[in-house]
Amino acid sequence: MRVEVHAERCIGSGVCALVAPDVFDQRDDDGVVVLLAEHPADEHHESAYEAAARCPAAVIDIHEAG
Amino acid sequence: MTAVSEDETGALPPLPLPGERNCPFGPPPEYEDLRAGHPVIKVACPTGVDAWLVSRYADVRYVLGEPELFSNRAGVAAHILLGFGGRDVPVGEGEFPRMDGAEHLRFRRHMAPEVSNMKRINQLRPLVQKIVDRQLDVLANTPPPVDLYSAFARPVTTAVIAELLDVPEADRPLFQRAAEALNAGASSAEDVAAALRPLFEYLYMMVVTRRADPGDDVISRMIVRSDQTDRPFTDTELVSMSAALLLAGYDTTASLISHGIVALLEHPQELRRLRADPALAGNAAEELVRYLGVGGGLLREVTRDTEIAGQPVKAGDFVVVAIQSANRDGALHPDGDRLDIGRASGAHLGFGHGPHQCVGQQLARLELTAVLGTVPRRIPTLRLAVPFEEIRFKTNSAVLGPVAVPAAWDEIVPALETEG
Repeated sequence: MRVEVHAERCIGSGVCALVAPDVFDQRDDDGVVVLLAEHPADEHHESAYEAAARCPAAVIDIHEAG
Repeated sequence: MTAVSEDETGALPPLPLPGERNCPFGPPPEYEDLRAGHPVIKVACPTGVDAWLVSRYADVRYVLGEPELFSNRAGVAAHILLGFGGRDVPVGEGEFPRMDGAEHLRFRRHMAPEVSNMKRINQLRPLVQKIVDRQLDVLANTPPPVDLYSAFARPVTTAVIAELLDVPEADRPLFQRAAEALNAGASSAEDVAAALRPLFEYLYMMVVTRRADPGDDVISRMIVRSDQTDRPFTDTELVSMSAALLLAGYDTTASLISHGIVALLEHPQELRRLRADPALAGNAAEELVRYLGVGGGLLREVTRDTEIAGQPVKAGDFVVVAIQSANRDGALHPDGDRLDIGRASGAHLGFGHGPHQCVGQQLARLELTAVLGTVPRRIPTLRLAVPFEEIRFKTNSAVLGPVAVPAAWDEIVPALETEG
């Protein structure tokens, strides 16, 4: 799995850091997404998918391969 | 289908809204037929605007997720509330809920560190727990029956937001009155403006004072951070953000707390599950937002000719997305009308979706989770003090929920050491 974020559209909702805190963090000064794990460990795949599905600004893309 | 079809005169059917006759937890019953047969239909809204009503989960999510096609410019509640914008009303300085694109993003990213950064939220957890426990200690010394809305839910949410903004205790009734006027649909635009004026004057003084002498509170930090940005925020913009946090932050969450408590008391099996396993509180909070959230729907304005689920809509048309209906759609959960605090309900639209998704959602989750993890344990004998049928629910408001929750109990047990 490879995770990609498009931070330019991020609204800093915190949904990704809520559901997948091992994969996503947020910048302190504006809440914008920080990708902690471009290739998350297997046990975090499900939460990474949930974060991508729930991101209000559709900022997160997940690539199966990679 | 009679309630939602055009009559012989060609008049539009009315927007289905919560009413006393309906189940107080769910969307009006018309929505089941709308989702099945008329997923996009023109309706007449209470404030006089006509709008396309969108009722299916996938379509509601689509509209909210395409802000370039569906603008916030008219104001999200202008279909049900006066004094809330409207197409012909200019967007005020700092009125970010009615802005789109980069203009809106500038405000969201300035508020995010205070209310939606998860590191910050996790730091606030002990404070919120302490506020919940203190208010339950107050209740423990009050002989029941007690109204849990005015004597528990509102004091808790008021204390949380007032602590964040550092509003002295004596000044808090000011923003309670303003929020009540804002959320009561029956008011005129002039009444709303009159009720808000003292609050805006108060917040303006607060911004001026803290600009001169910043403290360790949300307003001071927003001022300090603003000066480090490319385009610092004006005093009016800072007042606007502070007012949004104050007004949106306390009555919506207080109503959800009291609505949620009533819903759980009417679903005793779910309440027992929660009492047995307080670790379910976070999940229960999410499920209650899905089950109860945003009864009046949200308004958008079409920016260019397009389609919603095959229905052509024109630039300038209004669209109302029925959040409650979407959250009950069988496409999201086959048993969507059932309250199930154990389900994975995170894909709901109870906080909205898209760039305008609720800015205070993490704070709401934090408060609701603390309440749901604490109240069933500390008040094991909690019950309604009147028959359920006598509980009255708000119908003329942007924020739904019970008018009052008369409750009784045998005993309130002390807080856990770790909770304090």
